[in-house]
Amino acid sequence: MRIIVTAFLFLIAKATVAQDSLANILDNEVNQQLKTKKQYTYATFKGTQLVNSRTIETLGKHDLDFRVSHRFGDIGGEFGGEKSFFGLENSTDVKISFDYGVTNRLTAGISRSKGATAVRQLYEASLKYKLLRQTDNGGMPVTVTAFSNAVVSSMASNVKPNTPDHFNSFNDRMSFTNQLLIGRKFSDGFSLMIMPTYIHTNYVTHNDQNDIFAVGIGGRLKLTRRMALIADYYKVFRSTASTNNFKEIGLNFYNPLGAGIEFETGGHVFDFTFTNSTAILENQFIPYTTTSWKQWRFRWGFNLSRVFSLKKHK
Amino acid sequence: MKKLKVIAFAMLMLAASKIQAQEKWITRNGKINFFSKTTAENIDANNNEVFSMIDEQKNQLAFQVLNTGFKFEKALMQEHFNENYMESSKFPKASFQGTITDPSKVNFNKDGIYQVVVAGNLTMHGVTKNLSIPAIIHVADKKISGESKFDIKLADYNITIPSVVAKQISENVTISVNCMYEPYSR
Repeated sequence: MRIIVTAFLFLIAKATVAQDSLANILDNEVNQQLKTKKQYTYATFKGTQLVNSRTIETLGKHDLDFRVSHRFGDIGGEFGGEKSFFGLENSTDVKISFDYGVTNRLTAGISRSKGATAVRQLYEASLKYKLLRQTDNGGMPVTVTAFSNAVVSSMASNVKPNTPDHFNSFNDRMSFTNQLLIGRKFSDGFSLMIMPTYIHTNYVTHNDQNDIFAVGIGGRLKLTRRMALIADYYKVFRSTASTNNFKEIGLNFYNPLGAGIEFETGGHVFDFTFTNSTAILENQFIPYTTTSWKQWRFRWGFNLSRVFSLKKHK
Repeated sequence: MKKLKVIAFAMLMLAASKIQAQEKWITRNGKINFFSKTTAENIDANNNEVFSMIDEQKNQLAFQVLNTGFKFEKALMQEHFNENYMESSKFPKASFQGTITDPSKVNFNKDGIYQVVVAGNLTMHGVTKNLSIPAIIHVADKKISGESKFDIKLADYNITIPSVVAKQISENVTISVNCMYEPYSR
């Protein structure tokens, strides 16, 4: 008798479940998929660059990103003001670059920039690889991207020895940036990045150092669906000896800080920025920013990006 | 003893009803295609992870699909689709629940191709709209498949297209559905 009652109850239970509406069954099925199938976080940052920094983002496979970045002259201070129309009549650096998505996780790039220190006429080759991808449904809290570049100057060597642009060999013309970009999309509107950075310059003057470490922090705060506030900052660890040596000859180094507004319009990204740094490449703006916000020596700038999809894929 | 008979009878009835209740069909890998055509650009996306069910007893159909499951030709399109248009983090899925308006037009137990109209509610981007959609149901060898093609107006679902990309995105997009169902059992 007891067995029968149990069987009966069991059947009722099963029947009730079977009576579930289609929508409820599908809800469970889809929620199950949301839980179990990895959902990679998308659009942590818009595009491959923030203000001065690269972002964790890589290009889609077969996508080509054409970028133009520009930094104008000092807004205030000795070189700014009305006589240079608040810096707009000067340009401290200009960079033109092409980046290509080899795979969804590997981007290769080339660029040319004017260069903002004594070392000018810069060609850059770079690689960016997405090592880890943040997931929305737990498991991986951050996206980690490695970035490396090699930069070479094509300018004529300075005849004067112990100057930054006095090159004895091709090797003397080169510098390198290696970065780990660790980013997280905290919410729909807010993403943050930490960027441990190592820069090596093959040839430097006596007071200077070949190797410099820095840690950057960068963030994006969405204001509207197509507009965001962006900012990045690097804390540069230059040795006290080197800092003092430069101080003696009247040169102070500052940590680069950039802030701006980002506009996105389907394939185009336009950043309108303010930075105290003059250079656009990490190899220069991280170790060699000598202009300070406090002295009004910051500038307007823009980054413009247009992505072309070269090959359709399904 | 009499009590026992009643229970046994009730059990049989339940078992019978359970068999009836099993006349449900499911797919977890149905296909939905999204197509927007303009002179400037075609946008073509496929989702091959569509969840759908048919209850042949009640003549009901239901669909659910995760927006992030749509794969586009261009990575940027996919990002824009999720971030700017569907707002997938806020509205992760789209769903449809409908009823076959004229059940006499379809016989799930007999091989054939049946043209039906399904009326119901389509919910996406947080907006629910009532739609009547023509569909074809194929019954062959104890298998059911269904297909449908219809247009939706993006503006109906509060999906706005900024003027700068208005040339690239059509106001009306064509949705094609194709599902092969298997018997559903828990």
